[in-house]
Amino acid sequence: MNCKELVYLLGDYLDGSMEEQLRTDLDDHLVMCDSCTKFLKTYDTTKLICRQIRLTEIPEEFRERLNSFVIQKSREHHKGLEKYQKMAAEEQKREVENLLRAFREQRLAPSLSLLFDTHRDRCETCGGFLRYLNGGGEPKTCPEEIEEHFAEFLDALPPGEEPYLS
Amino acid sequence: MPAERLLDDNVLLEELRNGSSEAVEALFERFHGKIYGLAMSILKNESDAEEASQDVFLTVFQKAHTFKGNSALYSWIYRICVNACLMRLRGKRRQETVSIEEFMPVFTEDGMHTSPVEDWSKEVERKMLDKELGQVIKKFTDDLSEKYRVVFVLSDVEGLSNEETAQILGLTVPAVKSRLHRARLYLREHLTRYLREGKTE
Repeated sequence: MNCKELVYLLGDYLDGSMEEQLRTDLDDHLVMCDSCTKFLKTYDTTKLICRQIRLTEIPEEFRERLNSFVIQKSREHHKGLEKYQKMAAEEQKREVENLLRAFREQRLAPSLSLLFDTHRDRCETCGGFLRYLNGGGEPKTCPEEIEEHFAEFLDALPPGEEPYLS
Repeated sequence: MPAERLLDDNVLLEELRNGSSEAVEALFERFHGKIYGLAMSILKNESDAEEASQDVFLTVFQKAHTFKGNSALYSWIYRICVNACLMRLRGKRRQETVSIEEFMPVFTEDGMHTSPVEDWSKEVERKMLDKELGQVIKKFTDDLSEKYRVVFVLSDVEGLSNEETAQILGLTVPAVKSRLHRARLYLREHLTRYLREGKTE
């Protein structure tokens, strides 16, 4: 190994990722080469001293400005999300209302009818409500939990299948 | 002081997604200094660094739901920060930086050092906390082109592993090592010249 090769390999030598044979060659060279020993020492010290560098500190004025920016934007972002969630909730409510109307008017597609029938016997939450509907009841509102379940019926419909009979 | 549970990356992200203002505050406290410092070391300009820091927080809010926890939160945020800074650099004319080649060691044809090597390691270790030396090194670092500077700052200044730096920058580990090595050779040579001049004065 010569000095040029040694210098090229210093990074691996110091981070311990060098294979044993190469390390031995390098150590052998270091023993007889004063220049490389000095080079290694100063290279290592360079690495060491750079750990002392601190990143530029943020000036207080910037810090405050950045802080208000971040707080404001996070609120806006969350409001945007809330608005979207509200829209989605309203949409679901409308869809379930349509579904229940179709149920009462017996306009459900066969697969949906089947879903309702099996669900009535299986689900404790919706069972009573469905029997009430079957008995001709006309509830003013649909409880939230039940609305969730009914919304899933619509999602469970095979793609392209019309939910209601015309 | 932010609540202790917010020190957990996943909890912090979860609460951010739920719009908790406490989580926003905790995120800010934990990362704003690093983000700004990193942006400054890449962009070298205060107002650019400030704008890039804003970009980073915006991106974190928008992408909070995509964070999978496969990597540490800080490395995800560093990555966002580096990308935000590089986007900003792209729009600008590159500042002139010194050629790193000028500072690479020179060898004879048979691979020997061409000039005697000085050992200033003891001297520098004594000056370890010397403010002036710190500033000098920082200045040398700033003169590096960003290709080397970013790798150097992440690995040698911030102390991340080469694997983490590679992941953040989208580089291979060997590429990170090679850039890091050249950056160190450059700084080593700069220090040699700086200390030599100091002696002759």
